[in-house]
Amino acid sequence: MNGFSMKNVMKKNVMTIALFAVYVLFIILAAAIKGTNMLDPSVVTSLIEQNAYVFILGAGMLMCMLTGGNIDLSVGSFVCFAGAILGLFSVENKILNEWWGTWETQVIDGKEERVLVAAAQPLSVPVVLLIVVGVGLAYGALLGFLIAYVRIPPWIATLAGYLAFRGLGTQVLTTASTTNAISNFPKPLLAIFSGKLFETGWGVMNIPCLILGLVGSAAVIFINFKSRATKVRKGYQADPLWFVFLKSFLIVAVIMFLTIEFALDGGIPVVVVWILAVLIIYGIITEKTTIGRHFMTVGGNAEASRLSGINNKRIMFVAYLNMAILTIIASLVVTARTGAANSFAGQEFELDAIAACIVGGVSAYGGAGTIVGMVVGATLIGVINQGMSLVGVDQDWIKIVKGLVLLGAVVFDIMSKKGNKKQ
Amino acid sequence: MMIIATVIVVFVFYFITNGKNLNPNSIDALISQNAYVFILGTGMLLCILTGGNIDLSVGSVVCLAGGVGAIMMRMMKGIPGLAWPVAVIAMLAMGLLVGLWHGYWIAYVKVPPFIATLVGMLAFRGLANIIMKGEAVEVDNKAFLNIFGGGSDCYIPDFLKFLAPESSLNVTCFVTGIVLAAGYAVFTFFNRTRLIKKGYKVDSFVAVIIKTLLIVAVVIWFSYKLAGYRGIPTALIWIALILGIFAYITTKTTLGRNLYAVGGNEKATRLSGIDTRKVMFSAYTLMGVLSGFASIVNIARLQGSTPTYGVGYEMDAIAACFIGGASAYGGTGSIGGVIIGAALMGIINQGMSLASTPVNYQKVVKGIVLIVAVLFDVIMQMKRKGGKKKATSAAATEKGGANA
Repeated sequence: MNGFSMKNVMKKNVMTIALFAVYVLFIILAAAIKGTNMLDPSVVTSLIEQNAYVFILGAGMLMCMLTGGNIDLSVGSFVCFAGAILGLFSVENKILNEWWGTWETQVIDGKEERVLVAAAQPLSVPVVLLIVVGVGLAYGALLGFLIAYVRIPPWIATLAGYLAFRGLGTQVLTTASTTNAISNFPKPLLAIFSGKLFETGWGVMNIPCLILGLVGSAAVIFINFKSRATKVRKGYQADPLWFVFLKSFLIVAVIMFLTIEFALDGGIPVVVVWILAVLIIYGIITEKTTIGRHFMTVGGNAEASRLSGINNKRIMFVAYLNMAILTIIASLVVTARTGAANSFAGQEFELDAIAACIVGGVSAYGGAGTIVGMVVGATLIGVINQGMSLVGVDQDWIKIVKGLVLLGAVVFDIMSKKGNKKQ
Repeated sequence: MMIIATVIVVFVFYFITNGKNLNPNSIDALISQNAYVFILGTGMLLCILTGGNIDLSVGSVVCLAGGVGAIMMRMMKGIPGLAWPVAVIAMLAMGLLVGLWHGYWIAYVKVPPFIATLVGMLAFRGLANIIMKGEAVEVDNKAFLNIFGGGSDCYIPDFLKFLAPESSLNVTCFVTGIVLAAGYAVFTFFNRTRLIKKGYKVDSFVAVIIKTLLIVAVVIWFSYKLAGYRGIPTALIWIALILGIFAYITTKTTLGRNLYAVGGNEKATRLSGIDTRKVMFSAYTLMGVLSGFASIVNIARLQGSTPTYGVGYEMDAIAACFIGGASAYGGTGSIGGVIIGAALMGIINQGMSLASTPVNYQKVVKGIVLIVAVLFDVIMQMKRKGGKKKATSAAATEKGGANA
């Protein structure tokens, strides 16, 4: 590994290149077959908004997978359950009336009947959010305890959650409302998790969005060059200057592309702020902090990590606690986007998050994987999904292709590792 | 232990449902509704034995193979569908193909089983929908339905009726039950004397008698109940056949013992000259074939196939194995356990439906039962390990004492 070689760079970023190629391919196909413009601002925005949950859940799933290929099968069901709890306390409904409403016994047509005199007051938004986060913390702690300290295999513990929370969530929703769904969420609650920042009309360049994009680009350029300067100063091996230019240019191009698309579609979607916050925080945790590194050592070699004084159990506990918290955020985002809590919300979310990680090069055996990789994986699957449905491919074929992409990614990962070992 | 739990559960529901859960027709339904859990649970056990590996695709495979079979048997524009044996073979072949596909990736390319079968879960569901064009396909082949436990005549005909013409019971069924029970008792005692002759350690005579009596009583009671309804459901024959074959494979054949060995300690197994890849490959191939078989029983019972059949079957099969005491880390588990696990889950499900518990709570209870079963297994293992540690340390001190 001495010296800088373009081949290595290509090898490292093969998925990113694939993502770019697939995106261009679908843009051409969609335009040629259906005459749809995939670069239309609303199409690009919906690509991000529809896949918001994958990015958020993917970050949590990454942390679980790092600890040794462990997964959480319960996230989809828990998204449904958390949505139901959110609805239960923030919107007037039958259960709440039963609990907190004022009832009186009146005589109607000679029969005594219970009549609702005053409907229950739903709780205020901050209180509801606290409750939902509390539920997430409680579940995460329980799950973490069972997996880390009682040593129940993760996928069994989460399988039980998968069954139980779908059942509980559905039960809450069906009892609370006749339509099996709770909608009419309070506006302030929705505004925290959906909509646009500083919204402007369609087709108008949104100035705040542009400014943020420019600031972001400047930050990326600054960080790239600063990191190279530090490396050079400390005598580490650094990439050539032209490569740092190229890298910065490409990243800035992507940022500005998204910025302009968002700006033309009314502004930065609130969801993007959440996604960015989650990704940046977890990017820093996995790359720059000790605890993040511990996740990888536990996954790389649990015994060695334990002997070197790392508390493996605590790492596992944190991984699942953390997953539950991110699931709550995902649930809030999804519920806000659809504007309703449904009994079928979150179905197969666990599969999407796992697929994003695997396609993004996270090792299925643990110990290796990055947030950036996961983002690329999630986007690639999102692009394939959107592209194929825009081209008019049947939903069933999309499933098959998705499956094959997943298999291909794992096989590629295994093969390339074998190749590395031989070298 | 789990047997005691099952008995307790049966009694609890007996009181909740006013005895409805022990009605002959309930028991009959218990078997036909859960046939697929027994069959898939058997296959899943093979996979779990190899080290806690699972197959997430079985539900989709059941749907795919069932769809293929249903389409083959369907009458099309006046042309009669293919004969049912052809369809049956096609469904088994479909399962076999899927099994080979999974086995290859898992055993030889070393793709983690849950990912390989997750791919299968997505892809085969999609494929099934494409083949069925998203529509339900009906199965009305009478012979097929009768043989594989669907429709109203899927019972063994009562050809021993002449023995007791005035009885309201199904004589064949009752007689079969008694013969089986007697056979079991005779076999047990012969086996015991054989083992004693060879100098093996055996259970005490009283314990054997009590155990045998209990099993004989259960078998006879069971056949009596079924005889009071319509006789032996054909599905029961198939379940018994599959369970019998795989009980034999897992306990008496090299392949079966290799499954346990791989799950117990893969490296040691490989170093002792066993091709562990081949063992993994066989486990997933057999799982595929059994999924194919489950699809046959499934489309027979439901008299058709729709693109949504089989959703969640993998969870039922996995849960049956774990409730039946299979270790989530592989290496332990038995067909007997699967039977108890599947039956226990079936009894709980049916009992709750009879007590008109909402379906949603049934899911919750399923999840809790699963966790409790595994918790129990894990704690027992910890105790055993703790016991062993104490024993070895005691032995060590003894040795040290002797040396001193």
